[in-house]
Amino acid sequence: MTPSAPNSTLRPLSLIAELTHRCPLHCLYCSNPIEMRKAADELTTEDWARVFREAAALGVLQLSLTGGEPLVRKDLPELIASGRKAGLYVNMITSGVGLTGERLAELVEAGLEHLQLSFQDLDEASANHIAGTKAHAIKLALAPVIRKFPLAFTVNLVVHRMNLDRLEQFIAMAEELGPDRLEIAHVQYYGWALKNRSLLMPTEKQVHSSLEIVANAKERLRGKIQLDSVFPDYFGNFPKACVGGWGRQMMLVDPAGRVLPCHAAAVIPNIEFDNVHEHDLGWLWRESGAFQRFRGDAWMPDTCLQCPRKEIDFGGCRCQAYLITGDAKAIDPVCRYSPSHELLETLRSAAAEPLPIWRN
Amino acid sequence: MEMNSIPMVVRGCRLHPTQDVLLMPEGTLELYGPSRDVLTRVDGNRDVAAIVQELLQEYEGAEEAEIRTDVLALLQDLKDRGVLRERT
Repeated sequence: MTPSAPNSTLRPLSLIAELTHRCPLHCLYCSNPIEMRKAADELTTEDWARVFREAAALGVLQLSLTGGEPLVRKDLPELIASGRKAGLYVNMITSGVGLTGERLAELVEAGLEHLQLSFQDLDEASANHIAGTKAHAIKLALAPVIRKFPLAFTVNLVVHRMNLDRLEQFIAMAEELGPDRLEIAHVQYYGWALKNRSLLMPTEKQVHSSLEIVANAKERLRGKIQLDSVFPDYFGNFPKACVGGWGRQMMLVDPAGRVLPCHAAAVIPNIEFDNVHEHDLGWLWRESGAFQRFRGDAWMPDTCLQCPRKEIDFGGCRCQAYLITGDAKAIDPVCRYSPSHELLETLRSAAAEPLPIWRN
Repeated sequence: MEMNSIPMVVRGCRLHPTQDVLLMPEGTLELYGPSRDVLTRVDGNRDVAAIVQELLQEYEGAEEAEIRTDVLALLQDLKDRGVLRERT
């Protein structure tokens, strides 16, 4: 196979809007970058409204409002309304801290269609420890309030070594909250999660047992709750199609307006990220160097170029390749054909008594 | 899904106003062929028989048995994907 040129008919389907990096939670696995954006640098209500219009014009269908905690933005109802006005489906990912029935009524009135609430553990003390704050009871109390409104509700369980032994009970807890969807996500090692990798890394036994528990739950809940799961890729043999392929489906705008192909891309050295202050989203998608960097397959090592799986995983995750091997163009080490694949075995074994590092 | 079932889209799921896609939490489902014409009639009031009758009027010369089979198959598929349910 020969390298193919980046497809000019590609269009992004989803826009992740990181409205702020401010957050009442300090989760050990937070996916925000280590270098967080200050409140003073945040885009304004009007900036976001323009970004949403440009996104819709580009073909984007899904808008995910996230952070940090979107609720710390006082203009959240206006932001939701401008997303809907642009023609986007509006999702919000929240910790729930600061949400009341009154506030939620405003958000739903503005056009919010789907809310995702994540839980850190079944046990309150452990959940609060992982979140770095007392949020568990607030989240539990919020679920029946959310259910009174006509919007889709997803409960997200983030799983890792500290809570996997209680997975069955954790799922039972989630079911009782009455969600439409349930997401069970093994931690991915970027951002703060990478700093805490040896603390969060599950054991081989936990992973195998979790796969069985999730498969059974999926079968049992069929027709009642839709269950989606994220595989712990350090335990796999083939990489994930990270963000559906670099610059293929997704755009992320950070709180200050920088536009990235994924949450973690800023870890890769020597990539310049352009800003919505200087360019419109259409230009950013088509022309920005950051989006072109690993789009298509011209950058791929020969092994990947000749591999039929490149149409499935688009070369895996560039950030992971860099974080583990030091080379962003290397084969994703999750892949069994990577010369660094064996490294994962070392990284899977937990260090003795690691100490937690909470984001500030 | 039966002829007297009353299908409705689940909470948080809607048809795009202009494009042939069904929007849902964090996802989209592309619609092919006449799927959109079926889904615009899925409102939690019409039963499958009523939807089939309306489509018969719209698609002149189409076989009723064929439309019935296609509509039932589409609605069942969407139900299996969790985006439709039957009103009880």
